[in-house]
Amino acid sequence: MTARTRASVLIFPLAALFAGPSPAAEDATLLKDLTSVIMLLGLPCGQVVSAKRQADNDHIASCKNGYRYRVFVNPEGRVVAQKQ
Amino acid sequence: MRTIAILVLGLAACTGVKEAPPSVPPQAEPVVAPPAAVAAPPAAVVAPAAVVASPAAAPPQPATTGKETVATAPVAGATAPSKDEAAKPAPPPVKAPAKAAAPSVPTEPSRKDPAPSPVAKAQEPPLDVAALTARLRDTKAIGTFTKLALKNQVDDLLGQFRAHYQSGRKTGIDSLRQPYNMLILKVLSLLQDSDPALARTISASREAIWSVLADPEKFNSLT
Repeated sequence: MTARTRASVLIFPLAALFAGPSPAAEDATLLKDLTSVIMLLGLPCGQVVSAKRQADNDHIASCKNGYRYRVFVNPEGRVVAQKQ
Repeated sequence: MRTIAILVLGLAACTGVKEAPPSVPPQAEPVVAPPAAVAAPPAAVVAPAAVVASPAAAPPQPATTGKETVATAPVAGATAPSKDEAAKPAPPPVKAPAKAAAPSVPTEPSRKDPAPSPVAKAQEPPLDVAALTARLRDTKAIGTFTKLALKNQVDDLLGQFRAHYQSGRKTGIDSLRQPYNMLILKVLSLLQDSDPALARTISASREAIWSVLADPEKFNSLT
């Protein structure tokens, strides 16, 4: 029993650690998505290097050129990028 | 007269001696002539023998040296076998050209067959807007924000087409071609790295989509 307990103590944290996509991968996907959106809206950015989540579908994106945009979905369902 | 007769006989004798040996071959020539007329057959017969002797040298020469070999071979060998050989080989050469000609005829059609297939492949597949929409919705090459932004822009463009058709103008639809092209380019730039197959499909459907948008009846049936 003690061995099983020890094993479970080791396994469950590891499973929790490796289950699902890693935060880094999520970050990379989000940064790429924000970069594409800003590019699609025709705004200067280059590449989003970091993002801060404010709410669901609401992020502050920091661009490589130093610009910062608030990217969110407005009540009409449109994606908007506001320069900060 | 005697001297003349002697000279004539002497000349005739001289010429007769000189002509005598050639006179034999001429007799052989007419005998060989029938084979010579069928020059190919003996050559074909000689060729196999030469193939056994020297396979490399024999095959290339049958056509050019065939008559010469026929002229010498029957003289060197017995005349009877030459006749037999001349009789036997007659069919093979006839068959050989027939075989050579027969395959050549089928090969040409076979070459013609694959030719139309590329033309058939060049034809564009029919446009399936629903399938394209589903693929765009399901692709992982574009993030959620980007998909929503793309949908907004597509709706905006469709709104411009709708406004154009509702205005009653029958000309000027070409003014919407540039925004359409820009939107297609944006979509392609988003897809080309992560989902090149979908990008190719959209690129191939570019004119088909435009033909639907530029036709009021097709546009109304679509929306």
